[in-house]
Amino acid sequence: MSNKPIFGVCPDAEFFGRGHEIEYITDRLGAAARPAGGVVLTGGRWTGKTEVLRRVHRNLFWEQSSVWPVYYQFKGYGSAEGFAEDYLKEVLKQYIAFKRRDTAAASSEVSLDKLERVLIDDGDDGAADLVMLFREAKRASDPVAALRGAIAAPRLLSEMTGSLACLVLDDLDKVSAANIQKDGGQVLVELLDALGSGANPFVVGAGSRRPLEGGSLNGSIDALELSGLDDDLSVSMMTDLGRSHNLAFDTEVLSMAARRLGGNPMYMKNFIWAACRAQKELNGLKDFVELYTEEITEGNIGFILRTSIRLKGLNDLRILKACLSARPDGATSEEELAERLRLSREEVSRGMEELGSLGLIESDLGSVRWTGDVVIKDFLGYMHEMRVKGRSSAEVRSSMVLESLKQGFARSGVNSAGRLRVEVADLARSFNGQKVLKVLLRNQAFSARFKNGALSPVGSNQEDELTLPQIVGCFDSASMEKNETGPVILIANGFQNMRYDAGNEIVWFAGIKDGFTPVNLGDVESFLRRTALLKQNYRNSRQARWMIGREGFTAEALKRLESESVYTSDSVQFGLLKQGLEDRNPAGVAAKGPAGVPNKEFEVVLPASSKAELVAAKAVEEIGVEMGFDEKAIGQIKASLVEACINAFEHSGGKATRVFLRFVSYADRLVVDVRNSGVDFDGNISSRPREGADALPRKRGWGMELMKGLMDEVRLERVRGGARIVLVKYLLNKGDRRDEEA
Amino acid sequence: MKRHKNCREAGDSVILYPDNYINDIEGEKLEDMCDAFIARGFKKIIIDFANTDLINSIGVSILIGIIEKVRDKKGVVAFSSLNAVNRDIFNIVGLTRHISVYEDDEQAVAAQSERVLM
Repeated sequence: MSNKPIFGVCPDAEFFGRGHEIEYITDRLGAAARPAGGVVLTGGRWTGKTEVLRRVHRNLFWEQSSVWPVYYQFKGYGSAEGFAEDYLKEVLKQYIAFKRRDTAAASSEVSLDKLERVLIDDGDDGAADLVMLFREAKRASDPVAALRGAIAAPRLLSEMTGSLACLVLDDLDKVSAANIQKDGGQVLVELLDALGSGANPFVVGAGSRRPLEGGSLNGSIDALELSGLDDDLSVSMMTDLGRSHNLAFDTEVLSMAARRLGGNPMYMKNFIWAACRAQKELNGLKDFVELYTEEITEGNIGFILRTSIRLKGLNDLRILKACLSARPDGATSEEELAERLRLSREEVSRGMEELGSLGLIESDLGSVRWTGDVVIKDFLGYMHEMRVKGRSSAEVRSSMVLESLKQGFARSGVNSAGRLRVEVADLARSFNGQKVLKVLLRNQAFSARFKNGALSPVGSNQEDELTLPQIVGCFDSASMEKNETGPVILIANGFQNMRYDAGNEIVWFAGIKDGFTPVNLGDVESFLRRTALLKQNYRNSRQARWMIGREGFTAEALKRLESESVYTSDSVQFGLLKQGLEDRNPAGVAAKGPAGVPNKEFEVVLPASSKAELVAAKAVEEIGVEMGFDEKAIGQIKASLVEACINAFEHSGGKATRVFLRFVSYADRLVVDVRNSGVDFDGNISSRPREGADALPRKRGWGMELMKGLMDEVRLERVRGGARIVLVKYLLNKGDRRDEEA
Repeated sequence: MKRHKNCREAGDSVILYPDNYINDIEGEKLEDMCDAFIARGFKKIIIDFANTDLINSIGVSILIGIIEKVRDKKGVVAFSSLNAVNRDIFNIVGLTRHISVYEDDEQAVAAQSERVLM
């Protein structure tokens, strides 16, 4: 059976991430639970909502039979009656298509009359009656009855057939007075009432939850928000697209582009296509900045933004610009805007309404906040310079390139500087009295230990460890500092020694530089000065300072920080710290039971030299013997680890000189994590069919199959700055475990 | 019967004894050795893994190449003294369906000596 989608989706090779969301929604809708629940899927422009919903529909159409799916994408209509007719037609077409498992029945353009005849021919008189009732309502000039009849069609058909319809509704934002000229409001009310009745499971996609406000949706509604793809996935998507288009690129430049484009799939695809069209290589910051500027101003992204963000006048642009240059959190008030722009309150309110409908700002209790993304912000900055200030396009673009290059694309307040901040905040919140290796917070010592990739297992000597505090809250310093520039500072406060008394209160100040240049002396001086001021607010607490630089530190900066006893971590240290704490996450431990508590951890760093993998094999042999694995299991682990290591060296992108190994022994299993700093591991398993019974196996590409065949679990994961493979071997094999559990 | 460090001739068979770890380098050495014996007219090649603790996927590729080459010359390859893991590896790859596997080199030699090749 073909699983061809009825509604167009992008090629699988160009679709990245969202697997979890698709699976979750598909399962939720396919469960056919009663009363039926729903999912509200929100997300900014071009984050992939439609793609997710269409793939959910495809899964429901082809891969299950407990519900029949209806996908409907709202558009503009002349009247509520026009919407009703279109909606009823889609419901009936897709009902027939599912019954016949024939996608052509859903995609063909047919009239209601024709559908009625098809239904009668199929002996489906009940369904045909829905058309007749709709026609009667129209004839009686009763648009409300026609509308209600159409909206009720999925429920009525479910009742008639005993087979539940589930609704996949896309672009709900378009059900508004602006898009349905006559009785637009009524459509939304009726629709939300129908969804809220619990008769049919549904998923609704919208730019925001605003269209749902005031509706009667309640009960088991799940809200999912799609943001940009995460860093690792974005970088993978960019590199895969780059490779598939034979683009010459540097992985770091694509990482930079992925972050700058906020992980937005539409932006990322267009950016790669633009590079291909222009036959431009992406090997340096300048290449990227020039292409980015060109693309968002005069390229495809610029064109798409121009056509979708239709500002009605210069005042809208001025309001947006004012919102963008407001406080770091992007919030301002209508009064401030009116005063600053010398507009009347009415003009500001009108602008607010228009910009709110475009999803660019949110207005709540007089407070106005920018809600667009960084790319739109840059685009609007360009438009403002041209339309309001009267500068030429070439002049503005030239100055954008200059400024971006000067600042290394790490201006404060933009999303490119936001990911690490979020990660550091999350990590700080997970501090819960754990012990961590001091070298993970001391960059100089860390670098010295791993100098030249020398093998140096990280021991668990107590003197090497630092006990983290228990953090109870973490926030940034923006509200305490006005007009400060420089690295973001997070303030995390809590208690030491797990004792909740005044004497054990502690605050950590974490300065973060998420740019593409190392932390320099200027950053350090700014951090020291600002933390000296911030400390005044926490006089009764103990204090610790920590600087995190994505690209590390300059020698002078590091020296100064060491002299001030400031903790220092680069992205590698941060990654190791994060991973260590994730593995000790109490939630994870609870889920795994007592066996989830690691007994011992060892780390090894391998240089890229001949037979270095044998060192790893020797190390794991020692660990395996101590854990009580039998000889065969140890041999299997060794062979798999050797594969993982050579794979890591091979796919290190030609730049890595080290492979990081981590062995964690649990009561019931050994977990080995092999990480490189390259682009990927080779996860492909060749499925080339054998040409005949006598034909020998293929020669190459056995690494992954061997690992999978020899270990109990093998996972490939893309992580920031590289990739990792996780090998798991249980002390009893899986079959034994299942027998025991049974 | 001639015995060198890494190989031994036994009648019309030759037994190759690879090192502890068969990677690209050791695999190529094995291939060169095999080529030399084929050039001398040997058609029965026994590879004895008694000393071999680890074989990586590149080593596996080279072994498949050796078998292919010997087959092209109407010869035969047999394996002996496989430990449990190396046996697993050849099972995963599907090689054990194409070659004979013996407990040790003596058993392999005995079996091959009775074999008549075209």
